[in-house]
Amino acid sequence: METEEKTACTGDIATIEMDSLAGLEREDLTILKLFLTWLKIGFTSFGGGAITQYLIQENFIYKHKWITAESYANIIGMCQITPGINIIAYTILIGKQLAGWPGILVSVLGLILPSAAITVGISAIYVSLSQFHRVQSALHTVFAAIFGISLATNWRNIRPILQNNRQQGLLVFSVSLVILIGSGLIYVFFNPSVIVLYLLGGLSGAFIYWYAARKKVN
Amino acid sequence: MNWFLFFWVVFKAILFSTGGFGPLPSLHTDFLANGWATETQFAEALSIGQITPGPNGLWVVSLCYLVAGIPGAVLSCIALLVPPLFVLFVQQCYNRIAHLPATQGLLDGVVLVIASFSIIVLMGMFQSSGLDALTVVIASVSAILAVTRRVSINLILLFAVVIGAVMG
Repeated sequence: METEEKTACTGDIATIEMDSLAGLEREDLTILKLFLTWLKIGFTSFGGGAITQYLIQENFIYKHKWITAESYANIIGMCQITPGINIIAYTILIGKQLAGWPGILVSVLGLILPSAAITVGISAIYVSLSQFHRVQSALHTVFAAIFGISLATNWRNIRPILQNNRQQGLLVFSVSLVILIGSGLIYVFFNPSVIVLYLLGGLSGAFIYWYAARKKVN
Repeated sequence: MNWFLFFWVVFKAILFSTGGFGPLPSLHTDFLANGWATETQFAEALSIGQITPGPNGLWVVSLCYLVAGIPGAVLSCIALLVPPLFVLFVQQCYNRIAHLPATQGLLDGVVLVIASFSIIVLMGMFQSSGLDALTVVIASVSAILAVTRRVSINLILLFAVVIGAVMG
């Protein structure tokens, strides 16, 4: 992981994640391929953020194998403490990790240009069609599908964390489950600010990882 | 329309919030106070943002288009793209402390909270949109197909559209 982050900072396409991805059939990366991949996501991620996240995982982790699931989980974590839309921040970090500043540029443009243009286009026709019952019904069932897909997306985000923590021992694994379930219960019953939940979960995770590492050394 | 004020209101809302729906309270207050948008336009923009490609936060582009046309949409795109660049600074800090076990624990803890929080928020929206047997089946089948990766995500959505249009 450390090697991966260090190489990522150089923006050197030829050496990206070579160590951490050794053994995987990683597809060669060019700036054009990177742009086209984001462009495809920008054009086809109908269904909003849940679908966009799913397609980012699908393309970058599973299909092209340009980033690892662990690296992606770190990107998600960093982007939560960044202002603005998280997925644009994901795009910036993935673009930088894979191809430096040119990577950021082609990634952001590739995602946002088509999706913003389609959003404007659909906004223009939506208002005139929204009174039709069939349109409302189609939106209703599409949202059900989006909800199902978002369950899969979130599962794929937490799976590597739970798998790693299971190997760390019962204590770390149990605390992970407590953070996962406890934060949900706190939100439902006390409805605090999301920032408070992030702080609680983040600090609990930091403490238990620190404690487990210290215990291992001793 | 004072375009500078318009841009500042949108930029400020995005800069001081996080996530796709984060700018909603600030935009809602300022747009209504300035007489730029109605409640209906907010509801329409939020719905459109859920079905169009790209991040959910593009509902802001939809809203700005509905209230200010193409110039509004372009200005909102610029306002959306600048604040997330702050993540590069966050990453610099992260790289300095990445080797500490607590750093990984912090990020993993945040991701676990996000997963839990996202599912609850979406579940609330799913419930309030009107639960019935058909939508529960569609959600379950979509989740299974997405996890197993047997069917393209666009095909799943297309099926959902067709079922909804036929049953509607």
